[in-house]
Amino acid sequence: MPVASRETNIYRQDAKVNHKLLTPAERERLIEPFLPAPPSRSPVSRSRKDGIPSIRIDKPKGHSRLGVRKFLNSQLHALVYAIIHTIFSIYIRFRMGYHAVKDRIFAILYYHHRTPELIQKDVKGLSRLPEHVSVILKLEDGGRGGAGLEALVDEVSEIAAWCTCVGIPMLSVYEPTGILKGYVPATHRAVSRKLSSYFGPQHPAVSLRAPHVPSVESAPNSPISDISGAPIKELSIILISSEDGRDSLVDLTKTLAEMSQRSKLSSKDINVDLIDAEIAEGVMGEPQLLILFGPTVELSGYPPWQLRLTEIFHVQDNQGVGYQVFLRALYNFADVQMRFGR
Amino acid sequence: MSAMNPSQLRKWILASPPMQWGIHRLRELLIAALRQGTVPKHIAFVMDGNRRFARSHKIETIEGHNIGFESLAKILEVCYKSGVKVVTVYAFSIENYKRSKYEVDALMEMAKIKLQQLSQHGQLLERYGACIRVLGQRELIRPDVLEAVEKAVDVTKNNGDCFLNICFPYTSREEITTAIKGTVDDFSKPLSAQARPFSQTRITQKIRSRNLSTSPLRSTSPTPSSTSDVDDSISSTTTLHTDSPHDGQDGPIYPDPETITASHIEDHLLTAGDPPLDLLIRTSGVKRLSDFMLWQCHEDTEIVFLNTLWPDFDLWSFLPVLVEWQWKQKHIEERGFGNGNQKLKTKVR
Repeated sequence: MPVASRETNIYRQDAKVNHKLLTPAERERLIEPFLPAPPSRSPVSRSRKDGIPSIRIDKPKGHSRLGVRKFLNSQLHALVYAIIHTIFSIYIRFRMGYHAVKDRIFAILYYHHRTPELIQKDVKGLSRLPEHVSVILKLEDGGRGGAGLEALVDEVSEIAAWCTCVGIPMLSVYEPTGILKGYVPATHRAVSRKLSSYFGPQHPAVSLRAPHVPSVESAPNSPISDISGAPIKELSIILISSEDGRDSLVDLTKTLAEMSQRSKLSSKDINVDLIDAEIAEGVMGEPQLLILFGPTVELSGYPPWQLRLTEIFHVQDNQGVGYQVFLRALYNFADVQMRFGR
Repeated sequence: MSAMNPSQLRKWILASPPMQWGIHRLRELLIAALRQGTVPKHIAFVMDGNRRFARSHKIETIEGHNIGFESLAKILEVCYKSGVKVVTVYAFSIENYKRSKYEVDALMEMAKIKLQQLSQHGQLLERYGACIRVLGQRELIRPDVLEAVEKAVDVTKNNGDCFLNICFPYTSREEITTAIKGTVDDFSKPLSAQARPFSQTRITQKIRSRNLSTSPLRSTSPTPSSTSDVDDSISSTTTLHTDSPHDGQDGPIYPDPETITASHIEDHLLTAGDPPLDLLIRTSGVKRLSDFMLWQCHEDTEIVFLNTLWPDFDLWSFLPVLVEWQWKQKHIEERGFGNGNQKLKTKVR
């Protein structure tokens, strides 16, 4: 802050009277000492324009000295760069360690034990809950067949179970490759099985769908009125992938262009509301909360249109899906501090 | 002097010339050192927290915005010195028009004055090759402010070393919609019919005329002129008939909409031509994008949410973000080499 405080003060006085105190020339003189040397390109071009050889005569003298200084400077900068990064990588190891310990403690303190009552107790104090939660999952697969897929299906069904317990009626699962879309019935079976391990045989209904894939509903044989302990009667899950992002906007553009070519539509009719309605219909609406289970905020192709006002939550340096991350996201959404201990 | 309390003494020491010189050198050194690594080409800032800063410091809201502007100037200096090509800032959302008229007017006035001031220093900007662009719905800007905007953009439009994109009344959804509209417009323009030197109608006419010249020969030989008359009239009516729907079908040829790709839409975005967004920073702890750069940031962009308020945001809070970005970039590069090391590296991470 206090860099060049005298000049800053003058600037502020000038700004207070809407810059009528100083003339442009005075202002330029004020900032002159803080300007870096102009890029080398301009003097070269200027000298070329003038075409005066006398400028070149005194150049070599300064050049060799400048060269040495430049070399030393660049060595110094490389050294400082190396120092900064060494310190940083030490710092980040410590930070990762700290976060890993903290996450462990949270994971021990807050565990669901597959009991809906415990999960409900965890979220009892929250003033508001999102209607639509979205998660980004990654297919962790070293190219060896089903292991990654199996883990992914398990993560989806765990998260679905937590959402059902908390009372969130809508869950969208984003997975870039879209591999899950090929296994909609199998995923639905896995989710149902997981729900029955939480709620017993009388679990809430689940509907699972993906854009452009017919949805799979729960068998209607379970009498809905009998479900006890679940705040919602039905959970709907949407599976989305990277093709529902940019590509869906491109597809919409194609359709609109075709309509416009057949003069069924004038381009003046295209507005935000039209696109929003189409995207909400064709893919999904806006989620209120997006939970990332990765160490940083990287959206990896998540549908852009829907992200407008979504609250994005991630735990720094976190790896993998965990109940405590999910819970902390809900706490953060409700603007409540989470403390150690219940 | 003796009555100074410690905080004042600290301030006095920090403001003393040798101290200032030292801090200045240190800043320069750090920035120059950062240049040694990869530096993001395109950074976007959501300048959030001016009002909260004003409230917590018990100053007027507009003063908060003024300090926020100074903070922007300082950050821009750091960015361009460390080698960032494009900086995009979210200055004003279309939604912000819903704020109190007093604040909106004051903000507009501020933008006008700063931009006017900027255009006065055209030469200085040229020396550094600084180019200013204003992205957004210009039709929503007040006419007198728009004039200042256009002047500032005009003065700097030929510079091309570093760019500042000011998103003035901007929302990303509006931007995407405009891009889609532009693409649709492009694809509903008929392709120019004179693209090839051969015309289809001429060819059909020629074929028909040849048919005409051959068919009468066959027909006239056995029969008298009465039938040839009928033949002629039929052929003339058929040419008329076939020609008119033909024109309607062939005349406007449209480009195939199936060939539309994401890059077509990208070319119509307001940031067309800029390098991909590497880093997006939002201050003041709000973890939302608020309709900013949705299309640009949803792939590989690193998004960072900081708890500092924008007026407090300076080199010392920016540096860790930049260093972490560089560190991550280096890791990605390392993982790119060789598969054997890959597992080890990811485990370390």
